Amino acid sequence: MASLACPRCLRRSLQDLETTATAIRPQRAAFSTSPSLSANPPKKKAVVAKPSTRQGSALRLTKNTRATNTRPPAVGERKELRKKVVLSNTNALEVLGLNDLSKENLSSDALHALEAKVMGFGDTSVDRLRALKAFKPTQGWNLFRRPASLVRKETTHLLGDIEWVEAGQGSRTVRKVLYGERGSGKSVLQLQALAMASLKGWFVIHIPEAMDLTIAHTSYQPVTTPGGPTRYAQAHFACKLLRNIRDANNHLLSNLRISGEHDIPGQLKPGASLLGLVDVGVKEPARAWPVWQILWEELTLPSAQSKGGPRPPIMFTMDGIDHIMRLSAYLNAEAQPIHAHDLLLPRHFIELLSGRETLPNGGMVLGAVSESNRAASHTLDHALARNEAIQNELTPPAWDPWVKYDKNVQDAMEGVGVQRLQGLSKEEARGIMEYYARSGLIRKAVTSGLISEAWTLAGGGIIGEIEKGTVKARV
Amino acid sequence: MVFIFGVNFLEGALVNRSLRSFYGIGPKVCEGLMARFHIHKTARIRDLSDKQINNMAGELSTMTLENDLRRQVQDNIKRLRDMGSYRGRRHAMGLPVRGQRTRTQILTARKLNRVERKT
Repeated sequence: MASLACPRCLRRSLQDLETTATAIRPQRAAFSTSPSLSANPPKKKAVVAKPSTRQGSALRLTKNTRATNTRPPAVGERKELRKKVVLSNTNALEVLGLNDLSKENLSSDALHALEAKVMGFGDTSVDRLRALKAFKPTQGWNLFRRPASLVRKETTHLLGDIEWVEAGQGSRTVRKVLYGERGSGKSVLQLQALAMASLKGWFVIHIPEAMDLTIAHTSYQPVTTPGGPTRYAQAHFACKLLRNIRDANNHLLSNLRISGEHDIPGQLKPGASLLGLVDVGVKEPARAWPVWQILWEELTLPSAQSKGGPRPPIMFTMDGIDHIMRLSAYLNAEAQPIHAHDLLLPRHFIELLSGRETLPNGGMVLGAVSESNRAASHTLDHALARNEAIQNELTPPAWDPWVKYDKNVQDAMEGVGVQRLQGLSKEEARGIMEYYARSGLIRKAVTSGLISEAWTLAGGGIIGEIEKGTVKARV
Repeated sequence: MVFIFGVNFLEGALVNRSLRSFYGIGPKVCEGLMARFHIHKTARIRDLSDKQINNMAGELSTMTLENDLRRQVQDNIKRLRDMGSYRGRRHAMGLPVRGQRTRTQILTARKLNRVERKT
């Protein structure tokens, strides 16, 4: 490449200078002799202020204001959304060949053959369970096309209990508390018990959250008996409960007639149906508790004595009974806390559970307690451990003489059956995971490896954790 | 609107909050009052029965509340002042009464400690 410099004077080529100068110097005539100073000096660029980073002179706060084009939620709207129970998901696949729990397969033998399989609930069952508020929003019903549940070993046992009660023709009652860790299926087992009992024509009563009875969020009125202790009725809660019962047991209530002589509030004639009686309590909270008492008296009339039709066995269940095994948040007139056993409705359940009050037509009293995130009631904990040890013919743990136990709870839990719910077996885990797959919620092939993995990660087959790990988790 | 002790309360107002709006009823007194008439924690004014409202009004009228209570407090301070006690003098000077330091942090004393105490 030729050099641009002149070889004689070692200066750079003029032409090259000219060409480069044009780019950097202001334009002027190339051979002008006039001094460059006489020409107008090139205009200096006007100094432009550097734009500041902040736009506008005032601090804008509008950016921080919340958009108000949406209306604020109405009173109770958010709670309604939180408590909403969705029982169907149209995006889930319909499981072909999913059988319903029905009268035909409700025998121990038939159900035993169906163990580790998923069974659906029929429309009638669903309506009744929904009326009882037995479905909870925390359970995964909203993932599947229609409500169904796994038949596990414990379900068959419960059906065995139901059959045992029926075989006794009124002389037998099962009193039991289910307990187990979170997600182990206690509430769903209660729900299955309610569904099976309802199919068998039992009268079903369910209190979905015992907490609602004791946290002092519903009205209470003292009821004094002459010479006796003061107890407290919860009119508004009783009213709500009566409504649930009426909706769930409509078919039974409309066929049963009032048989005894009662001081019936309202315009009811002696031979009226029990449905009319319950309606009185549903309409007026002030009458709900007396109506509950009369209803109970009527239902527990021995069938042989009742003129208003044979009385059915009763299934009475309550979830979260830890809350009624301690002092409640209600205060008596002296501002001292009231024991939950002095509230009439929980007391009624406790009387039945402890066996102090009997069910002449037979029945089942079923409580459920979680082992995690629950109200502190160390007497209940101890009683559960004791009863389980006695049941399994082991040495029961002794009552610690240095600990102050709750005498009410001690007495109530004496002789109550307990059942600790543990994880599923591998076969049951296979049954439920295959159901997930058939509902389109697991895309992978359900192999024994996958089942083992899910079972182990779920703390040994805790069903709630299996669901969480396989269906609800999105990685 | 429900009229209790000279004040009209909205139907939807919490009983707990309504009662505590009176000078002389704080959380503890309110709890005792509500327990006495078997009113639960989350009750609203509309949930009260006539009997409960009447009983409550009767009970409130026997209590020293509002201006009577304010006057009582002022009288107590005045008595201290008239005796010429140290506490009375400190009230008159608007300074802390119970031996607190005065170098800093006496805003509350300046606000409250008067012979004619306002609140």
